Amino acid sequence: MKVTFIQPDGKEQDVDVNPGTTLMEAALFEGVPGILGMCGGICSCATCHCHVEADDFGRLPAAAAGEIEVLDGLEQRRPNSRLACQITMDDALEGIRLHVATGA
Amino acid sequence: MNSPVEFDPYDYATQDDPFPGYKALRDHAPVYRSRKHGFWLLSRYDDVLAAVRDAKTFSSRIITLEPLTDEELPPLVITSDPPDHGRLRHLIAPMLTPAAVAPLGEDIRQLTRRLLAPLLPSGRMDAIVDFAQRLPMAMMCRLLGVPMEDEDDLRRWTDMAVDRKDGVFTTTEENNLANQSIYRYFETQYQQRLADPAPRDDLLGRLMAAEKEGRISHEEFLGFGYMLALAGSETTRKLLGNMIYYLWKFKDQWKLLQQDPSLLGSAIEETVRYNGPTHMMGRLVTTDITLHGQTLKRGDKVGVLLMSGNRDERKYTNPDVYDIRRNPRDHLGFGGGLHACVGAALARLEVKIAIQELLHAIDDYHVIESACTRTHSPQVRGFANLPIEFTLRT
Repeated sequence: MKVTFIQPDGKEQDVDVNPGTTLMEAALFEGVPGILGMCGGICSCATCHCHVEADDFGRLPAAAAGEIEVLDGLEQRRPNSRLACQITMDDALEGIRLHVATGA
Repeated sequence: MNSPVEFDPYDYATQDDPFPGYKALRDHAPVYRSRKHGFWLLSRYDDVLAAVRDAKTFSSRIITLEPLTDEELPPLVITSDPPDHGRLRHLIAPMLTPAAVAPLGEDIRQLTRRLLAPLLPSGRMDAIVDFAQRLPMAMMCRLLGVPMEDEDDLRRWTDMAVDRKDGVFTTTEENNLANQSIYRYFETQYQQRLADPAPRDDLLGRLMAAEKEGRISHEEFLGFGYMLALAGSETTRKLLGNMIYYLWKFKDQWKLLQQDPSLLGSAIEETVRYNGPTHMMGRLVTTDITLHGQTLKRGDKVGVLLMSGNRDERKYTNPDVYDIRRNPRDHLGFGGGLHACVGAALARLEVKIAIQELLHAIDDYHVIESACTRTHSPQVRGFANLPIEFTLRT
């Protein structure tokens, strides 16, 4: 399965993601710039913050309270903000597009 | 290339104070090859971060640098690469997020108070033996769901498992025996639970359920017990010990924290940056890669020097200054990338509550430095004894 990460300069990178893998893990493994994954997915560092494209945002399961708490502390917080480490790939997410949000 | 720098992380003299050596590596040999042992060392912040983020090039199949022995360890999350790594890590990561561990705070506080209460009237304690080593292992026993009275055995074995002899570049019979004791312990726990099928909502219970569902093998179950007992206790002990030490050594910082306890979160991050417990992790090169003009070959071993990266002048201003107001959120003290410390939120919470309780009880304290001793390992660094004398708040 595939998802697309988009850099602030518009450059796009398609990444293969196996079901059950988080989008942060897939991005790290494929070397997507800007996705640092400093905490390794324990939902604490926000260095995998992304803005999900509006059309795709509704396809994601809702964020848990712990993720929302982290997101609410971010300068670049938007309604379509998510942490890539909290999104686990499954069939419903094929092809979603995420903008890498720099500076956490 | 001949390197002017000599650095041996297996040498006790190096372990006593590795920081001058780290600086020499960063400045003169950022991609250093040990002629003695054959492995590489990365020491600059950018290189260390790049390596821990790049699991494709830098495999975690090895995390220690010694020659492999016949000793077969069960598969561990810490020595796995994708996709096994994610399959294993996802079992425990949701239980260790900041939100998931927050409800443990009350337990941690009660345990901390129970440990401190008998120590306070005497005005002295060994901050490691009496306090810092007991809190994390007791909490880990509670989380795993094993008897608290097994705490001392588990601690003895996990200490033996990471101990290395001065200058010796192999694992020892003692290390192997300790590993076997830990695995046997969790096998016994497993068998006892099979005999008593009442479901239990603790880490071992959840891992046994995962095994029953076929999500992990029995060897992986044992590996989780091993890793959680080891990583869940001795690193937090070292972090807490280091923090007690540096808040004494840089007394103005203790006073600052007394005046403004809201700096505690930042102070913990600064301690993990300045001298966190984990100094080095091993990686295995999976494909030839050239860094700073040196070519690391597929199959080469690399030590990533996390604490050297944390002292890199190229990254931090005045990196050798311990400043609890710094609040570094991008340090390498918990690693980074897929294998970043999965227990970091729990460690932060335990240390936060422990220091809060010390601040609450103690006015001033003094470390008896001549009586301090260290544990010995090229990878984790901290005190084995940290005797302190203190005066209570009135």
